[in-house]
Amino acid sequence: VPFSDLFKRVSAPPTNPHVEAAPPVFDVADLYRGPIAAGDSPATGEVALDEKLRQAYFWIVNTAILSTHYDIEYNDAPPQQFTIGDSKSRLTLPTAQSYSSFVLLPLLTFATRRKCLFIGGPGRGKTASAVLMGVLGGYPVREVRRAMQHGHPQMTIADLLGNPLPADLVAAQRMEDIRIAWRPWLGMRVKIVDEYNRIPTRTQSALLTVMGDNYAEVLGHLYECPESAWFLTANDDVGGGTYQVIEALRDRIDVVVQALAFNSRSFSELLVRIEENVRPEEVVPREVVFSAPELDRLQEEIRAVEMGAPVRRRLEHFASHLELCEVAAEQLEYKTKDTARLAGVEWHTLAARDSGRDRLKDLGCQTRNGLSVRALMTLIHYAKAIAYFRGNRRVELDDLRQVLPFVLHEKLVADVEAPFFAAAGNEVYRSDRIGWLRKLFDHSCADYDRLDLDRDDPVAALMAELDSGLGGVSEQQARARLLRIERLIGERVKGRKLYGHLYDDLLQLKAMHQRYSSYLRWLATQ
Amino acid sequence: MASGDQAAVVAPAPPAAAAMVSEPFAAVLRAGRADFNARFAHVRRQLPDLDGDAFRSYLVATADPWVQATAAARPDRVAAVAAAAFEVGLALVGRGVAGPAARQRAVDEALRRLLPAAAALAAEDPWRALAAIANGAHQLAATPGARAADWSAALAALAPRAGGLDEWLRIGQVLAWRSGLAHYRESALRVADALPPALALAALGARPAGAASEGDGGGAAAASWAQLRARLARDPWHVPDEPVATGIRVVHRAGAFRGFGGLFLRPPTVEARGDQLLVRSGDEGWLLTADAFGVTFHRANPVELLTPDTVDPSSSAAARKPPPGLALGDTALTWHGRRLELPAAGAVTSVVATATTLALTTALSHAVILVALGEDA
Repeated sequence: VPFSDLFKRVSAPPTNPHVEAAPPVFDVADLYRGPIAAGDSPATGEVALDEKLRQAYFWIVNTAILSTHYDIEYNDAPPQQFTIGDSKSRLTLPTAQSYSSFVLLPLLTFATRRKCLFIGGPGRGKTASAVLMGVLGGYPVREVRRAMQHGHPQMTIADLLGNPLPADLVAAQRMEDIRIAWRPWLGMRVKIVDEYNRIPTRTQSALLTVMGDNYAEVLGHLYECPESAWFLTANDDVGGGTYQVIEALRDRIDVVVQALAFNSRSFSELLVRIEENVRPEEVVPREVVFSAPELDRLQEEIRAVEMGAPVRRRLEHFASHLELCEVAAEQLEYKTKDTARLAGVEWHTLAARDSGRDRLKDLGCQTRNGLSVRALMTLIHYAKAIAYFRGNRRVELDDLRQVLPFVLHEKLVADVEAPFFAAAGNEVYRSDRIGWLRKLFDHSCADYDRLDLDRDDPVAALMAELDSGLGGVSEQQARARLLRIERLIGERVKGRKLYGHLYDDLLQLKAMHQRYSSYLRWLATQ
Repeated sequence: MASGDQAAVVAPAPPAAAAMVSEPFAAVLRAGRADFNARFAHVRRQLPDLDGDAFRSYLVATADPWVQATAAARPDRVAAVAAAAFEVGLALVGRGVAGPAARQRAVDEALRRLLPAAAALAAEDPWRALAAIANGAHQLAATPGARAADWSAALAALAPRAGGLDEWLRIGQVLAWRSGLAHYRESALRVADALPPALALAALGARPAGAASEGDGGGAAAASWAQLRARLARDPWHVPDEPVATGIRVVHRAGAFRGFGGLFLRPPTVEARGDQLLVRSGDEGWLLTADAFGVTFHRANPVELLTPDTVDPSSSAAARKPPPGLALGDTALTWHGRRLELPAAGAVTSVVATATTLALTTALSHAVILVALGEDA
């Protein structure tokens, strides 16, 4: 007889209640909700998917992973803070519902079907968390465990993807006749690769194809994988694995979460688990398991979350700081860190030549690279997902601020020789990548506010004008706009140092200038 | 009948409390004895109020009749029903919802009456059936003025006519409204729409159209569901199958002084928010929902208490001002020329009207007087 038990209890009250001014709506379906949960019984009513996602989160946090680390902090009022010890450590008591990144980020990865890397020492719950995600995806625990790929130094492509059938190998006259026994995990909606940094380089390349392009190839045969969430684990992601992880594979990882230490105050829970012989992944409540159609709908609903211009502009402003490398090239368009990287120029020689700017003030000096389009898209995905998870349908600045460090953890390389890291109080950011990235974003937002770009952004105004289309724009209007662009460029470059955001603005203004110039040439032929 | 193994089913219950359950139930308990005992021990660690004797009493008095009825109606589902009765029972008794130490008897009474009566239906999904009935009875019992016993009696009577567990539970929702949960009126009507018309009429206590007979004695004519639905949607004070009352009349005196078990510390005042009534007493506020079946109060949240109407200092004066068509006297009111004696003493402190209802309060009463304005108002 299957039993539900207290490990299966899911939060019955709303997990993130909002006080709304709207009049209450009484629904007689609530008659059958009360102190007794329906348990394993099919739900009597459909729960909103964001609520279901929160229920899953709270079940994991309270029952399965036992995380006491509420490091994703939200505040709707000034929080109370305490300073501790000689290092002036700060303890903040958040005033709004806050979350544990080690549980929340994987869950958002599950919801958005992206790729999450767990890092941290052995036995800290990395693999257990990944297995839980598989169970939330509707797979039996045994199936999830069997489908998990365990990285090891002898892992071949065949181990990973599948084998040609031996009989066909002998008998086939053509490659198309060889049938492939594909590994079952390729067809799953949740894919788990344990200790991926122990996989040999050649097999990593095969994994890259599956992760990046969602298909597997063996002997010219293709297997199209369903869209899936990926969970990878690594004990040590900075070289401690058997093999160096190829950069392209590392770049495919959307988010990195660190398993934090177990709180010794939770030992009693461990005791209960031993005495009752309970494994959380085996008692996941049915209420928090997502079906394939629900996962599809979840993705659609997350995509529909709005990211308004004020938040988007701050993200643009943040990204604009990071790519410029003034000494990398002569032509403006090539003055990027990527140009220098492709040329193989040593970083310290570039940094030494970079004079004239305030390297402490210039946020771009803190990184050795800029942001890829993929990284920006991932940021948007996760920002929408966390807003959705919180029950909102519009991304708030705090949402972006909270997910940004986890998304950029592996994507932005800090230049720890930069003056910022030598400044008093900033040494800690050499090892605290999450804290550094959050600080970087905060500084960028402060710069955005200083420039008053919410209210005074002539480049955005010109872009909006152009976006409304050129149909019906007269020659006189087009010339007037060209003149405004030229004047704005003149104003912008007058006596100012070249910073990242100015660099992006100048390139944008140049592009708009091209559009209007081409338009005028076309008008002349009419 | 039970064997000696029963004493060990709920560890560590004292042998003196050992009680007998029927053989089908005993067989299931025996077969899963180790698991059941482990479950009891585990849940008691989480719910220290779970008492062995109380749980045994629940098994004997509440769960066993259900298992017996299931053995007669759906023998193939006895194990599932017994397991659900045991597992859900741990939570029911541990949380003081059912069992000898329960805060309200209504849940036990409902379970004992309904689950055996609907054993074939509940066997479809015993866990859900048990949780739903327990939660429903608990909600009715916890709502002042609601009639939990009426609900379970009517639901038991209609069990043989239900086409399945889902339909039976939907009937239960409609009956809950009829048993006093007035706030569910609109959604219960929608649920009733999804029922077969004859069942919807039965759930509301109305006779189907062909059932009218001579000797109705001036009572309401039997109705079709469509007619009754339209009437109920129009007039919250209409009671199916009762003589049609028209005209202005007092329908409820709702609320009382807190010292006498009511909600209010001070004589309340009433305000209208669209079709809703907001009752204030001191710094507290409640939304009041009322119809012919009952009156319920729902604590208003701070946002509801701070709508622009309430921050406007003239609003309290507006609440005392009679709506157009109403004339207030010392002991009576006149509504569009029709006079009604007031059943409460003291000066009227507030009076508001919605399309169908007039609500007023007086300085010397802790009750809100609700007056049906009649269809021709």
